[in-house]
Amino acid sequence: MDRLIQILKDPLLIAALAILVLLGAGELLSPGFARGDQIVRLLTVAAILGIVAAGQNLVVLGGREGIDLSVGAVISLGAVIAGNVMSGNDAAILPAVAAAAGAGFLVGIVNGLGVTVVRIPPLVMTLGMMGVLQGALVVLSRGVPSGNAAPALMAFVNQPFVLGIPGILFVWAAIAVLMAFVLRRTAFGWSIYAIGSNERAAVLTGLAAGRIRTILYGLSGLFAGVTGVCVIGYTGNSFISVGDQYVLPSVIAVVIGGTSLAGGSGSYTGTILGAIALVLLQSVLTTLQMEFWSRQVIFGATLLVLMLLYGRQARLRV
Amino acid sequence: MPPALEASGVTKRFGAVVALNDARLTVGRGEVHALLGANGCGKSTLCKIIAGTVARDDGEIRVAGEARALASPRAAEAAGIALYYQELSLVPQLTVAENVFLGHEPRGFGGFVDETTLNDRTDLLIGRFAGVAGEGFTARTRVSDLSPDQRQITEILKVLARKPRLIIFDEATAALDRRQVDVFFSIMKDLRAEGISSIFISHRLDEVFRVADRITVMRNGATVADFATAETTPEAIVREMVGDVRLGPKGGTAAPAEAAEIRLSVEGVTGGRLQGVSFAARRGEILGLGGLQGQGQKRLLAGLFGADPFTGGRVLLDGEPVAPRRPADAIAAGFGLVSGDRARDAAFPGRSILENAAMASLVRDKARLILLGPLRSRFSRTLSGLKTRYAGLNAPIGSLSGGNQQKIFIARWLAARPSVLLLDDPTKGIDLGAKADFFAIVRALAGTGATILIYSSEDADLLSLCHRVLVFNGGRITADLTGSTLDAMALTRAAYGEAA
Repeated sequence: MDRLIQILKDPLLIAALAILVLLGAGELLSPGFARGDQIVRLLTVAAILGIVAAGQNLVVLGGREGIDLSVGAVISLGAVIAGNVMSGNDAAILPAVAAAAGAGFLVGIVNGLGVTVVRIPPLVMTLGMMGVLQGALVVLSRGVPSGNAAPALMAFVNQPFVLGIPGILFVWAAIAVLMAFVLRRTAFGWSIYAIGSNERAAVLTGLAAGRIRTILYGLSGLFAGVTGVCVIGYTGNSFISVGDQYVLPSVIAVVIGGTSLAGGSGSYTGTILGAIALVLLQSVLTTLQMEFWSRQVIFGATLLVLMLLYGRQARLRV
Repeated sequence: MPPALEASGVTKRFGAVVALNDARLTVGRGEVHALLGANGCGKSTLCKIIAGTVARDDGEIRVAGEARALASPRAAEAAGIALYYQELSLVPQLTVAENVFLGHEPRGFGGFVDETTLNDRTDLLIGRFAGVAGEGFTARTRVSDLSPDQRQITEILKVLARKPRLIIFDEATAALDRRQVDVFFSIMKDLRAEGISSIFISHRLDEVFRVADRITVMRNGATVADFATAETTPEAIVREMVGDVRLGPKGGTAAPAEAAEIRLSVEGVTGGRLQGVSFAARRGEILGLGGLQGQGQKRLLAGLFGADPFTGGRVLLDGEPVAPRRPADAIAAGFGLVSGDRARDAAFPGRSILENAAMASLVRDKARLILLGPLRSRFSRTLSGLKTRYAGLNAPIGSLSGGNQQKIFIARWLAARPSVLLLDDPTKGIDLGAKADFFAIVRALAGTGATILIYSSEDADLLSLCHRVLVFNGGRITADLTGSTLDAMALTRAAYGEAA
């Protein structure tokens, strides 16, 4: 019986059940909701959220109240940079990706140094960075961002690529495999869990906790920059607050997936399920013709309810 | 008139460990009463129970004749019991008066702090120490502007502002120089004259004989003797502290030969309590750091491991100078550290036994990829060699008992092959069976040529495990006991600053 309860409390199982329930609910509300091409459409949206949530996931796993609220602004930055580098030119897609990812990584490293060297609380550091980037984007673009996506990028994100599946889903799958491999089969991955679960013990075991945590923020910025490229590929052109809507969902996806906000426990597999469940929820709410701000209320409430459910295990015991 | 404090039959267990078993203590009114005993005898636990920070399991405590539960520090304070902290607990940015009445400020109209009363009362208290207070010491002086002596007096004022009947001075003189100790003792005599009783814990027998009216000796959680100071001698006290010692099986490995090469050489290191400590340790030697708690032993280990670098002196490992600024440096040089505070210093809670065991060797080997198969077979071999009971390498570390957890954390370092292993009170909270296993592991490691430095809060651990024990007192090594000179009596005498 205890064992059954233990299994039922597994966040991965809960997230998977939530996905099935939401799919069923969507189909009941609007027949055709769970059709194959609709599901591919939903997964495409989930992929964009899932990529930015990968970075969020790393930062949260690293502990010490790790969170990256600047991901939204970095997505916007990545989208604007990529749009300008590409300017509708297919040949410039790879340089655009590199530029957006590189810029995101640098922003993330600055976040990481602020958190580890200057010891600014992550919430404050990344919130401040969000403000700086948002302001800078408005100033530099004078409020009207230039640049647009290359046609091939839009096709890669929106059109079937192989077997009726858009290219972005293959990218997401590759990121998923890479994340699982790094977290489970590399010393770096193990050290992320170690500093997240007990930083003092990690340092006394010889780990360079500050350096590892700085890299995690850098990776979060990198993933957010790449997400910016996906976003401009999805919409065609960018506007300067395009990334803002991803901040809260990226945190919720991580939490739904069972990663403890206290750090040191969780997996990207869970975050993938969390991203899918969240996009489904959003879609069901849209089907119910709920407007944007009401959906925000539901999202925020979801996060708080999850914290209430998981919060009790946030303080890990020895 | 009933005595100020009368405790009888006090017992306390922490899990399987019996900390107190029939402790008794009677402190008369206006009496300075010294409480003595070897490490782990239970005197700290008894004081914590009296101060209300630890709840007793059984026994009776009467304060001025009245039975008291002393369920919380606040209840103890209400009963007139105050604790004097040796660690400075003052807030430097506040004035003397604000510190003295912190949390107990006199309130005026509307519930606001009545500053006039606050300062007047503090000045009155300071007036009691006019002879020793020195220049520029008023209620309105900021604590950051006080001399160390004046800060110490402020600490005492803080205690006196609570109008206590009984003050517990736990190692109150440990950080003081000779002149400050004189000031302190003159204050204690003033308190005695006012009818305030004191419990005095000190690591220096000469101080005890200078200031105490009576002495209670504890051993293994029980009170074994109660003397009037005038009617006893330091020798008699030490004999009572040591008692009739029974030890675990003595060393399975012979002491390293005199010819064995010096592995670790420590020359005049300072930092924190350490006042210039020098010694050398040979290959294969198990070297104990003895003495009462808090004499610099833990600081030495933290310094060697780079967790809290030394401020002076130098360390040679196999003849090469090493000056670790962080643990990673020390680990790279060949040090390992097993701490008794597993939850704070060692465990990765929620992570698997394998992750907990493997981390140090992954760091040491600069591993990138994890080859799970070889890693698992390596650690299941190591752990079965250590007689560890565990459900599986994937089970969380928290599923193990304290003793088995400690085996995981020593396995962590065995795998990293340290040339010097530092043990910081490693047997804290582990049962006797696991302790014997743990000692066997340490002896085997020493047998391979590793040098072991161990600090333990239990003298018996050092006596049964070590080839040699350096006794620390006040941040210095005051005795070097080995072979025939290493026994419980000598260890206790040296710890209390008595010539051997």
